[in-house]
Amino acid sequence: MNFELTEEQQLIGQSARDFAKEYLEPIAVELDHTGNFPKAAVKALAAHDFLGLLLSGTFGGAEAGFVSYAEVVETLSRFAPAVASIVNNHTVAAYAIQQWGTDEQKKQYLPGMAKGEILGATAVYEHGPTPGVGANALVALKQDGGYILNGKKAFVRNAGEAGVYVVFATTDPALGAKALTAFLVKAETAGMKVGAKAETMGLKGCPVADITFENVVIPESALLGAASEGTVIVTKLLSIASVAEAAQTVGIGQAAVQHAAAYAKQRVQFGKPVATLQAIQTLLAEVASDCHLARLGVRNAALLIEEGKPFEVEAAMVKSFLVRLGSKMLIDTCQVEGGFGYSEFMPLPRMFRDIAGTNLLDAPGDFPEKLIAASIA
Amino acid sequence: MPKCLVCYKWTLDEQDIKIKPEDLSLDSSRAKGKISDFDRNAVEEAALIVEKEGGAVEVLSYGTAAVKLSLKDVLSRGAEKAHWIADPSAENADAAVTANVLAAAIRKLGPYDLILCGEGSSDLFNQQTAPRLAALLGLPCLSFVQKLTVEGSTVTATRKLEDCQETATVSGPVVISVLSEINKPRIPTLKQVLGAAKKPNEEIKIADLGLKPEDLQPKALRQSVKGFVMQRRNVVYKESSAAENVAKLTASLASEGLC
Repeated sequence: MNFELTEEQQLIGQSARDFAKEYLEPIAVELDHTGNFPKAAVKALAAHDFLGLLLSGTFGGAEAGFVSYAEVVETLSRFAPAVASIVNNHTVAAYAIQQWGTDEQKKQYLPGMAKGEILGATAVYEHGPTPGVGANALVALKQDGGYILNGKKAFVRNAGEAGVYVVFATTDPALGAKALTAFLVKAETAGMKVGAKAETMGLKGCPVADITFENVVIPESALLGAASEGTVIVTKLLSIASVAEAAQTVGIGQAAVQHAAAYAKQRVQFGKPVATLQAIQTLLAEVASDCHLARLGVRNAALLIEEGKPFEVEAAMVKSFLVRLGSKMLIDTCQVEGGFGYSEFMPLPRMFRDIAGTNLLDAPGDFPEKLIAASIA
Repeated sequence: MPKCLVCYKWTLDEQDIKIKPEDLSLDSSRAKGKISDFDRNAVEEAALIVEKEGGAVEVLSYGTAAVKLSLKDVLSRGAEKAHWIADPSAENADAAVTANVLAAAIRKLGPYDLILCGEGSSDLFNQQTAPRLAALLGLPCLSFVQKLTVEGSTVTATRKLEDCQETATVSGPVVISVLSEINKPRIPTLKQVLGAAKKPNEEIKIADLGLKPEDLQPKALRQSVKGFVMQRRNVVYKESSAAENVAKLTASLASEGLC
């Protein structure tokens, strides 16, 4: 397996880097302070084809492949992880439509999603133990010509800004998750209400909210995939998303260690830069090594996705690895910068919050470990 | 509709070059290549002219075998066709050799209405390619250009000189070297990056350019390159008054001829 990026993948990474320096670096601090949705940056992302990166050229996408996608997400995350999170959630929704949508659904949504005219979101989680189970479960009851939805989805990213939601609901409360089904629901559908934007610890600017469904009537044509195919779809989507989230964590970790290394070279203590002290070198070396190895894991999983091979276990492994080490990367880099690293005028506290957001909000408790444990012969 | 040719150089990214502390030699083993910074401005300016006036943008580069790595990058930035000359002579080429090779290639490929270059390359910054090219091709040269307007066959350039701005108008074929402030190079979109592989590129063999051996012989030979490292003196003046500290500092600087 070749872990080197191709010439095109390197150039795409360079475009992402140039884009992030021009459009994201100047807004990163403001985004963290205000939490306002970065409309101009999202528009610019679309103009540079980042929102249609995985989509087929038939629908106006770039067809750049998943390895390029991981490279782009890592790069954007070095500058503004909240924007990378917006892109991730949009891309997963677009991927779901491209993969399981009917020709009509693809024509209806994908060209607009590639152009950034329609932002995508997925509504997976609920306040119950698992989607489709519990008192708050979103239930979609069959009726003449379609379904009627009642219940609530939790922690929906891009909520309030998305034009289309990939919504998972059980069509039979008695069967719960076994009857989980995916639907495409337009933002303006009557009875659908986006709740107040959640005050989150990190990834500010990527809106998170609950969505309530009260007698939301959707047509049969809104069904994504087959009835009761929801668990298959959501499992695949979460695995796809976990690779992108791992790339997001690597990006934040890489930005943190580069900042800490630069600080250590210019911070003089005991008559010499602290970068020459072995204790500091150990901290920096461990974080840089973790980032490097995780990046190879991300590329491995991304390449398997591109080649159409089973990738779920590898995706779970790299995600699980980073859930364990992501926060440690930030503790170690803050440690290098000491009191300054802890101060809000430096970027590490923001990165700390963003890495926590990536690893907590985007990682359902035991999802990766279940897959990994089951795969061990 | 102008037919434009942009000459560009594929250089090492200086950010990736490390200075070895033991002997100040340069370690470029991990350095990636890039289109020389000002040359990106030249490619962008040609693309902007053609977007406005019509015409075509071609690019030309002379370098070592690594020059081939530049093709997709440069073709994603608005050029329609790339010509490249890969030859070991480029390793030690000075500005005279570079201009000889480029001029010979342009005589073979041309004619062009506008030949654009960056004001200087990111690595050597000799600022000689454009004027030497113009001399060899018998064309007028506009250097230090910070603004360019093309209307029909009339080229109007604003040149940034040491103590003034000069506006010059030229009719007909011309060699132009641009400054970085002339424009902001575009960030290629993903489709432009992926579409670059489908654009034509053509290798020109140096042997086919009719050059004499002396044309490829550099007049100046680089003996060595060493990094520059700032060293701190770590001197602290601790006199009782600021005036005394300043006096000591200025005396110290004066003793070294620095003030």
